[in-house]
Amino acid sequence: MVPKKVGECVVFSNENDYHFDMRQNHARPLAIFSVGVLALFTACGGSSDSTGSTDSADSTVVGRPSIVVTYSILGAVVSEVVGDAADVKILMPNGIDPHEWEPSAKDIEALTNADLIVSNGLDLEGNVMEAIEEAESNGVAVFHATDHVEVIEFGAGGHDHAEEETHAEDEVVTADSVVNTEAKAEDEHGDEHGDEHSDGDPHFWTSPVEMAAVVISLGEALSDLGIDVGDRAAMAAERLTNLDQEVNKIVETVPADQRILITGHESLGYFAHQYEFEVVGAVIPSLSSESEASAGELAELKAVIEAEGVTVIFTELGTSPDVVAALADDAGVDVVELSTHFLPEDGTYASFVLDLASTISGALAS
Amino acid sequence: MNHFIDPFLDNGFLQRALFAGVLVSLTCAVVGTYVVLRGMAFIGDALAHGVLPGVAGALLMGLPAMLGAAVGAAVMVGGIGLITAKSKLSNDTAIGLLFIGLLALGVVMVSSSTELTGDLEAILFGQFLGVNHAELLMQSLALLIVVIVTIFASRPFSLLCFDSDLTQAMGYQAHWYHRLMLFLIAATVVVSFQTVGALLVFGMLLAPAGVGALLARRIVTMMLWAAAVGVMSTYLGLLASYHFSWAAGASVVLTAVTIFFVVLVGVSVKKSLLGSRS
Amino acid sequence: MSTTAVVARRLSVGYGSRVVLAGVEAFLKPGGSTALVGSNGSGKSTLLKTFAGLLPVIDGGLEILGKPIGESSHRVAYLSQFHQSGFVLPLRAIDVVRMGRFDQRSRWSRRNREDDVIVRESMEILKVADLADRPLRDLSGGQQQRVYLAQVLARRSDLLLLDEPTAGLDVPGRAAYIDALSFERSRGAAIVTATHDVGEASMCDRVMLLAGRVIADGPPNVVMTPENLLETFGIGLTKVGDQLVVTEHHHDHDH
Repeated sequence: MVPKKVGECVVFSNENDYHFDMRQNHARPLAIFSVGVLALFTACGGSSDSTGSTDSADSTVVGRPSIVVTYSILGAVVSEVVGDAADVKILMPNGIDPHEWEPSAKDIEALTNADLIVSNGLDLEGNVMEAIEEAESNGVAVFHATDHVEVIEFGAGGHDHAEEETHAEDEVVTADSVVNTEAKAEDEHGDEHGDEHSDGDPHFWTSPVEMAAVVISLGEALSDLGIDVGDRAAMAAERLTNLDQEVNKIVETVPADQRILITGHESLGYFAHQYEFEVVGAVIPSLSSESEASAGELAELKAVIEAEGVTVIFTELGTSPDVVAALADDAGVDVVELSTHFLPEDGTYASFVLDLASTISGALAS
Repeated sequence: MNHFIDPFLDNGFLQRALFAGVLVSLTCAVVGTYVVLRGMAFIGDALAHGVLPGVAGALLMGLPAMLGAAVGAAVMVGGIGLITAKSKLSNDTAIGLLFIGLLALGVVMVSSSTELTGDLEAILFGQFLGVNHAELLMQSLALLIVVIVTIFASRPFSLLCFDSDLTQAMGYQAHWYHRLMLFLIAATVVVSFQTVGALLVFGMLLAPAGVGALLARRIVTMMLWAAAVGVMSTYLGLLASYHFSWAAGASVVLTAVTIFFVVLVGVSVKKSLLGSRS
Repeated sequence: MSTTAVVARRLSVGYGSRVVLAGVEAFLKPGGSTALVGSNGSGKSTLLKTFAGLLPVIDGGLEILGKPIGESSHRVAYLSQFHQSGFVLPLRAIDVVRMGRFDQRSRWSRRNREDDVIVRESMEILKVADLADRPLRDLSGGQQQRVYLAQVLARRSDLLLLDEPTAGLDVPGRAAYIDALSFERSRGAAIVTATHDVGEASMCDRVMLLAGRVIADGPPNVVMTPENLLETFGIGLTKVGDQLVVTEHHHDHDH
């Protein structure tokens, strides 16, 4: 028997000893492995406990509290309100389509470990709702912005008007909810197009007035959680009210008969409602950018353009530039791109709203 | 009558879509006939899907999508060539994995970029209604090239459909003409995918030509049938998209496939009714 | 017409670098018929494919119709052993036969009257003229085989290379095949057939028995002895009247 050193173990190279040595060789790594696994379980078990009890904020919030916001525009506003009182993490990078975005494992981890989740609600972030609900059932506080907003239904933002019936069977129509085809209830439109948006229009952020309401409610929610932001919420709400005044000044230049909008998808409902515009149609008549246009829908839109005297089609996230170009060419209208879901370069909500208002006014006033 | 003509008369974008569909149908009729006769359906499908990362890459770099598709097709053709030459695995498996891998790569590229939001659908399903003049030009050019090359190579192509050994024995470079055929398939996919979409262009290659193979016995006649079915599918599909608000590209392909199955059933029924005559 | 059909010197053939048949010496004259006889894997198909220019020569020298490989393809007619597409091809029989004429005229010149006459004649000899309009896939195996043979005839070539030409032929089919062969021989063409059918081989001028190497080469009645056949096939065969009868099994023969 000749002992050989193999790593840390001494192996006896004799056939008879072989089996015994194999067991010995396995025993040590096996032990280390088991201890490691146990350690891992205790660690995991430990951490899951700590996120459970966020209601007693004083005892469990260690260091700065963590607030996770789903998308960029809401994130900018939340950051403004929160300031240094907490760590604000925004999940979606600016530029990703919130309607389509899916969370990664890291994102879900951030959600489960957050002290507060701020989301838009009304299924804007359709693919992450499950993770948020999961976190909520584990005790994480969740703030849905649209809970504090005067929700507009799909298709609102204008008064009804008669339009030419272009074909017999219409499933889908313009934003205007009153259409002269019978036997279609208003609710059906919402359900048909957006199984994701059956409860209402989520794009509230196009109105600074609604955002102000959200900010005030957010301030209350934060103090309920023991996160002290002083009077930042009230200050932010005041700034938003001023913003509203500025927008009013900008849109003044647009004459009343020009205040009609055709957008990429139905995202300007709240803006229209607040500033007295009318959304008469959308390239993709739904609240999500995920649907596709069909020839029937485009032809109808073209009819609306002609009937209403529309001069501009506003494209946005998810609108196919080629399809819009073809339609615009045919109908003889201009195409102007709007940024309705992304922050501008300076990353502030104020610039976002002002840019939006001035682009729209600029295009329509001329 | 109005319901069938007016939509096209009233809408310029529908006229362009119809024109694009006709060009795609004609190109696919010629190339698709050879795909069906040579049993190259699988390779044709692989080519159609494998272009996705090329397109995604081109769009990310701000280059025209067609250029990316051309590069993607070249990679696919090269890959297929390598696999059939070297692999010990069945060709099916390797080619299938190659194109699925490329497809997955393309999806990863598009979904992780902030600039290509919404483009994945456009690439996969096409924008029949968004065809612009540049695309129409490319499609016309492709049709011209396909027709000229086919006329030039018609004899070796016919021979390849029959027996590749015989083709070689008769003095034609069989593998060269085979690659030429792959190139034509790739070119067809590259110019057609923006209209019908990468997932569905394959349907336009196969279904109309499939009808031709059921109904005709001569290659040229097959191509004519395929062209007729393709054009009719385009017209009916666009009409359906107009009247029922269905997605345009899918309606066209659905029509073509339906026509194929109707003809298939009809031919089988006719055969069993007439009995077999020897 | 050249003075030789096939000249092979110490020829080795195979796939890639794998040699299947080595040391072939052959000197085939125009107008003669030669049978390459062996079982599957003996190398007879490989040799024929090499003559046809489908496989490169691995070693040795080979001349076809007095020229290096590949230069006389328009004067050579090749019939392969397997036709996978036959059962699905919708092309008509007459168009398949017409394919045989494709390389006989320039790319841009269309089919002419001479081609039509040749095609019709070839189909008549093989008794498939009445099937001209039928799609290939509607024909029986034997009928398809006769169409392929008609295609070969339509080439009016100087050298025929036929791999298992009688596969699937029934009795009338075989009779038509024999007519075809005499027609070609009367034109002065040389014929090389690869076959495992010993009866068929014994009707040729010359037989080469193959089993990885040349077992024997010469006139059939000289070459096809029971010992040679035993070595070629691994089973002993004796001609009894018109038939070949198995006499013994050779256990350790490897192909």
